[in-house]
Amino acid sequence: MSVQDLILNLHRFWAEQGCYLAQTYDLEVGAGTMTPDTFFRVLGKRPWRVGYVQPSRRPDDGRYGENPHRVQKHFQYQVIMKPSPADIQDVYVRSLRSLGVVLEDHDLRFDEDNWESPTIGAWGVGWQVLLDGLEITQFTYFQQCGGIDLSPVPVEITYGLERLEMFLEQKDDIYDLDWSADVTYRDLRFREEKEFSEYNFSVASVGMLRQAFGACQKEAARLIEKNLLLPAYDMCLKCSHNFNLLDSRGAISVTERVKMISQIRALVNDVARRYTAVKEAA
Amino acid sequence: MEFLLELLTEELPASHIRSALGQIEAGFRKELAAARIEIVSLRTLATPRRLIVAADLAAGQEDREEVVTGPPLAIAKGPDGALTPAGKGFARSQGVDENLLEAIRTPRGEYLGFKRKAKGTPAAEILKETVPRILAGLSFPKMMRWAESSFRFSRPIHGLLCVFGGTPVETSFEGFKATDETVGHRIASPGAIKARNFAEYKAELEKSFVVVDPEARKRTILTQIEDALAPLKAKVYPDPVLLDDLTLNVEHPLVVFGSFPEAYLSLPLEVLSTAMREGQKLFSVVQDKKQLPYFLGVADAAADGKGLIRKGNERVLRARLEDARFFWDQDRKVPLKERAAGLKNVIFQEKLGSYEDKAQRLKKIVSYLCDKLKAAEIKAETIEAAGLCKADLLTEMVKEFSGLQGRMGGLYAKQEGFPAAVHQAIYEHYQPGSLEDASPSSLAGAVLSIADKMDSIVGVLGVGIQVSGSSDPFGLRRNAHGVCKVILDRKLRFSLPLLLDKVLAVYGDRLTVERGAVKASCLEFFAGRLRFILEKRGFRYDLVGAALGPGVHQAYDALPRVEALDALKSSPQFEPFILMAKRINNILKGLPAAKVNPDIFVEKEERDLYSMFSIIRDNAQPMIAQGDYARAQGIYFKIQPVLNTFFDKVLVMAEEKNVRQNRLGLLQSINRMLLGIADYSQVVVEGEKPAKPKAPR
Repeated sequence: MSVQDLILNLHRFWAEQGCYLAQTYDLEVGAGTMTPDTFFRVLGKRPWRVGYVQPSRRPDDGRYGENPHRVQKHFQYQVIMKPSPADIQDVYVRSLRSLGVVLEDHDLRFDEDNWESPTIGAWGVGWQVLLDGLEITQFTYFQQCGGIDLSPVPVEITYGLERLEMFLEQKDDIYDLDWSADVTYRDLRFREEKEFSEYNFSVASVGMLRQAFGACQKEAARLIEKNLLLPAYDMCLKCSHNFNLLDSRGAISVTERVKMISQIRALVNDVARRYTAVKEAA
Repeated sequence: MEFLLELLTEELPASHIRSALGQIEAGFRKELAAARIEIVSLRTLATPRRLIVAADLAAGQEDREEVVTGPPLAIAKGPDGALTPAGKGFARSQGVDENLLEAIRTPRGEYLGFKRKAKGTPAAEILKETVPRILAGLSFPKMMRWAESSFRFSRPIHGLLCVFGGTPVETSFEGFKATDETVGHRIASPGAIKARNFAEYKAELEKSFVVVDPEARKRTILTQIEDALAPLKAKVYPDPVLLDDLTLNVEHPLVVFGSFPEAYLSLPLEVLSTAMREGQKLFSVVQDKKQLPYFLGVADAAADGKGLIRKGNERVLRARLEDARFFWDQDRKVPLKERAAGLKNVIFQEKLGSYEDKAQRLKKIVSYLCDKLKAAEIKAETIEAAGLCKADLLTEMVKEFSGLQGRMGGLYAKQEGFPAAVHQAIYEHYQPGSLEDASPSSLAGAVLSIADKMDSIVGVLGVGIQVSGSSDPFGLRRNAHGVCKVILDRKLRFSLPLLLDKVLAVYGDRLTVERGAVKASCLEFFAGRLRFILEKRGFRYDLVGAALGPGVHQAYDALPRVEALDALKSSPQFEPFILMAKRINNILKGLPAAKVNPDIFVEKEERDLYSMFSIIRDNAQPMIAQGDYARAQGIYFKIQPVLNTFFDKVLVMAEEKNVRQNRLGLLQSINRMLLGIADYSQVVVEGEKPAKPKAPR
């Protein structure tokens, strides 16, 4: 099964569970959780089911294409089910079977892991799902997002597509994966990893990034005042990515790090607060 | 009658299971005792998805005899002994035959009344109420909500099996009606199972690949590990914490034995075992203290017939070891000295500054300690180690595996060719991590360990952060235990108050609490910790109290002091000696200090006592100075007969003031001398009421 077959399978499976299939969001994010299809939709009362592929950028994980397991950009398959269905673990297990995994031959484990993302004021309780010791999914009952208690509680299922594919293809090197019948992961991504690692670690202009961080931060605050919350949230995402780049450039001290994360969180929490206020009023 | 309860949930963390089982057992014991249901036996079991109670309970409350009293006998019966209208009315209202009425004697006089049997409530009725109450009352370290409910629990709930005497109890919990059904293993056999008693439950689940008894699972794991390693003549590196956790992580344990490429054996042992344990919960395999390229994992599966679980784990471990090798290679590209420069950006504590500030303080503290311990030969190396010991906080390896801090720095320093004293001191300076952990094996490591911990304790208390029963955010208790343990293990003799003065001086004006107060609270803190450690070592609490009586000026001396008391406690001289010491203490209580002048003694006995005291003092002093308390104590015993004669023949509270003051002065001098070993008045002897102090925390 190729990566694209895997994606097609998951699309079909989750569409059958009533998920709307969203398209990838067009900004750099660290995780599928951060896109509006999750962030805004887990707030408030309205039930929501969505599945989508989201590239996830973690500049610090770049390895110049030399490490067979770590990349500065990978792909997540993100599912949100709100409220969390009672049989969601069974549904998830069925999704693995639908990929052709004979679970009776393997060791599937739900291993305690409480997820949190301080940048967007979010945390949840759940597990990392391990298949023969390999972490293939983050499974989280979302408790809070944007600093707001969530009710009903959504469940978030995030598959690491490359990890899962390495398991399915029984391969040791991410670059050997087949994206389709005749395109490999190496064809698509190797050069990108090499160049972006160079950029993330050594070349990115610290001055420009600092400026951009400040500018986006200001813009977010200005947009919040005008109640343009979706554009304001985009600005927060840009702040977050600029912050990650600065971090991988080694330009952020530990104290500064805490401060910058709390600056972004304050804006995000503000967006969430106003968004729920407007929605509940409407 | 048999009682069986199973709460079926999604996978619970091991720590939550342990906490829940304790609460459940305590809950049932308390509730059933209050409800007068006898517990013949009760035990709790668990798997990651099940909290289980198996018990043998009485069928119900015992029937009881009740006494019902009515009007006073004088009103209820006439002089002829016949019932009055009031007496008849009582019988009627209670629906009781008049012949059954009798006189009931009470403290307030005699009343008309009768006795009747009250039927006990069946246990099933009581369980109906207690089961949901106990389950709803469980609390967990971290709780969650799910779906649309506001109920909080460890993980979502899926079912309640609750059977008493073979039939389901009529109860429910969070919308789940109690049944006699559950399900098997999530993957291997997820179908429904019926169980009316524990034997059936256990057997049916075993068929469905669930072993409900954690002890049985642990035995299986150990046996399978042994079987796997027998041909290799190798041993698993013991890790009881990991074993306990894995036991609670699986319903059907299956030990998986795998290997990794020998090339990774070039990584340090510490890195290999941490990557295996922390990263992937694997046991490492050793032979004569050498790591072998194998691992043991515990899967939750029926079998690994195709070897896929083993291969999968091997693949994941290879990736982790590859990462570790990447960190090991990358980290060594930057010398520790260069890396240490970055410590100015890492905050130790907001008010106490960065780790660079801490490193500078440590240099001064270890320099002082080396002087005090007359360890000139390692002074330069220890100072160098102090400057470098925190640098590994900035290495990739420690960022990935924080448990390796200190040890990584030591390993990197060794690679860089630093002298043994330097890299060993860095390696060992977090030791001991607990009272069970070993102290540093090198003197430089011991000095740096003490300095690091003292710096934290003084600093944190010095900015007004308090340690209380449940709150100890900087682990000061663990730090103080570490300091005490190193001092005791290595027999380090130096003045604790002077060291505190030094650390306070090094902090300068960074601290917000006044110096005298910080010093006092540190000394009190250390006295408390020493008491805890010595009592934990099995010394009698009152002997520990007596040994700590003279103070913790020389922290190490608390140990030989209490050992001396302990060794001599059964000697025939001990008890009279203690009583005598208490007598002196009582006489002197509350009196102002007086001077002794040997020239104005009146009686022979007081002159004798004075000269005996002088001899004993002069002989014991050098022994005490060397810490030989057992011998000094032996000499102290000699004062007792002379003192006895003194008390027999001489009136201390003499009429004449001069004489009286002089005698009191003599006793005070003796008391001071005694206090050089212990505060004997705290020792409890036969016939005295023991006044055990509140258990120290």
